[in-house]
Amino acid sequence: MTAILSTRDLRKDFVTAKPLFGEATVVRAVAGVSLDIAEGETFAIVGESGCGKSTLARLLLRLIDPTAGEVWYKGEDLASLPPARLRALRRELQFIFQDPFSSLNPQMTVGALIEEPLRTHGIGTPPERRAKVADLLTRVGLRPEHADRYPHEFSGGQRQRIGIARALASGPSVLIGDEPVSALDVSIQAQVVNLLEDLKQDFGLTLIVIAHDLAVIRHMADRVAVMYLGEVVECGPAADLYANPKHPYTEALLAAIPVASYGARAARTMVEGDPPNPISPPPGCRFHPRCPYATDLCRSERPALTDLGAGRSVACHRAADLSLDGLDDVAQSRTPAARDRFALYARAMADKPHQKSPE
Amino acid sequence: MTDAPLLELEKLTIALKGVDQPIVDDVGFTLSRGETLCIVGESGCGKSLTSLALMGLLQTPPLRVTGGTAHFAGEDLLSMGTARLRQIRGGKMAMIFQEPMTSLNPGLRIGEQIAESVRRHKGLSHQDARARALEMLRRVRIPAPEKRLDEYPHQLSGGMRQRAMIAMALANDPELLIADEPTTALDVTIQAQILRLMRSLQQETGAAMVLITHDLGVVAEMADKVAVMYGGRIVEAGSAEQVFTDPQHPYTIGLMSSMPSLGARAGRLVTVPGTVPQPAQMPPGCRFATRCPFATSACTLVPSLTDLGGGHRVACAHAPLTALETPALRSTGT
Repeated sequence: MTAILSTRDLRKDFVTAKPLFGEATVVRAVAGVSLDIAEGETFAIVGESGCGKSTLARLLLRLIDPTAGEVWYKGEDLASLPPARLRALRRELQFIFQDPFSSLNPQMTVGALIEEPLRTHGIGTPPERRAKVADLLTRVGLRPEHADRYPHEFSGGQRQRIGIARALASGPSVLIGDEPVSALDVSIQAQVVNLLEDLKQDFGLTLIVIAHDLAVIRHMADRVAVMYLGEVVECGPAADLYANPKHPYTEALLAAIPVASYGARAARTMVEGDPPNPISPPPGCRFHPRCPYATDLCRSERPALTDLGAGRSVACHRAADLSLDGLDDVAQSRTPAARDRFALYARAMADKPHQKSPE
Repeated sequence: MTDAPLLELEKLTIALKGVDQPIVDDVGFTLSRGETLCIVGESGCGKSLTSLALMGLLQTPPLRVTGGTAHFAGEDLLSMGTARLRQIRGGKMAMIFQEPMTSLNPGLRIGEQIAESVRRHKGLSHQDARARALEMLRRVRIPAPEKRLDEYPHQLSGGMRQRAMIAMALANDPELLIADEPTTALDVTIQAQILRLMRSLQQETGAAMVLITHDLGVVAEMADKVAVMYGGRIVEAGSAEQVFTDPQHPYTIGLMSSMPSLGARAGRLVTVPGTVPQPAQMPPGCRFATRCPFATSACTLVPSLTDLGGGHRVACAHAPLTALETPALRSTGT
């Protein structure tokens, strides 16, 4: 595996303002993450609110400065790069934001928004840039004439397409999406997921997706890292990790998914309560207060992320002796006539020439 | 279920000022005691407006109920006076909203909010009402309920707030619970806890539930009956088994196809093309026609919701859809 982006013991602490009495508190949002992301893969970072996944995404592009640790991109440590060199590298590392309503400047036309990164990086002459904008709009399923309109004239799904075109403008090799489809309706979400996969192929991108939706991750990702309270607790190829989780938290996440199939297994609650406050994480394994398998060792000693071979790694003292439940292949129980109807629908959709277009 | 339904909604129509076509059109369903009906659909399909109309909480103007009846235990919710509606709302009929932070009073302690509601609806004394509030927090399994009673909403986590909302909704033993995206703002492990809690409380109390959601997974977990809405109309309705194992409407099929599978990866997702038209731009006939791969000239008429047998109703000119009858594919978009 050739890693395009690697982190080593990456940390980010947020310090609260010092109160009138007492000490300021420190939130360890990212508490020592080491990852290798391979060129050309789709890598997903999954976890619940407050696990540090969005902070990690921002650290990967150094949109925020790490407290400690390294981020390696093509032989250079982004974490210690001087600002000028960092700006130049940003061309190759781009970000897609979750909320297409707040991430586009409402006073700029769509064309100006997409052209901005080209101007910033001094790419092309004005006519070349205009041609590039028109091309990008077509590539993301919009029309060149949309360049003269403003973001408010578009729906959420279309705005996310504009955000994607903007991210693609400077010709990046790595695209990081922080919940890129979670604000969208199901049918629009599927369109954008397909678009991202097409663009990844067309432009030879490495895609890093931050998400909480485990079904979207299962569909998109080659490899998955599961985060809990600032740490990666498990990492591995998506198919393996879903079928055969090694960390009790991964098992709990998979068990909690409501499956959209009649008579499917009911979602199970493997863990009770909420994740603990990251200001005062528990000693030992951070998951132990909610873990059904915790022992004395888990309560006192923090497990390290350990290589299990076959691309799998896990941070759990009991990884060797636990046999955890994964998500079995979820078959849809449908009548034969319904199965024919789905095939008919899929065929009709495949025949539609403007399938990619949102209008 | 042979007894009379608890809730019988018929021909509900809601108009939006400045828009000619109704934005909720001819919506109806029945619900018996102990049953859960899930209304599923995407943004703008009218699912929330339908539930707000039932509770008399539509913002008027610009919205207005222009037709229909909603018989709840023999009385029409849509035509009753505000005083009577206030008695019923929060009492026999209770609501749970998506974002508990906006529906709980941030300046009032949790215990006081629940107590206020039971004092009002059950006429309990201050002391008894507080005891009832404590009992309810215990029933929704909030840890250390005695302590939580005197805390403010901001001191609770998202999951705990949603539990507090449920405690408040159930404090007056409602017969009907209307829950609008109750778990959408929650993490998946917390969602599983809340759904389990809602199911077990419903079994204990025998309340009927209308659950509004966009998540077909939640529908499969919770529903006895399902109504799929698109563009302000019900396009398909039936038992959960009928709708999931034998979906008929092209929109239902498109919605289900759009969901990524949890099993082995299966190439590109089959989607629903395009976007929902703006309310003022809804096509005159079938409102899904602009996005439907099977649309023909027959779809310029409003399709009626027709029973295909066993109460499975579909509003599609081409239902039941078979390969032989497949109309020529539409050649161009809008």
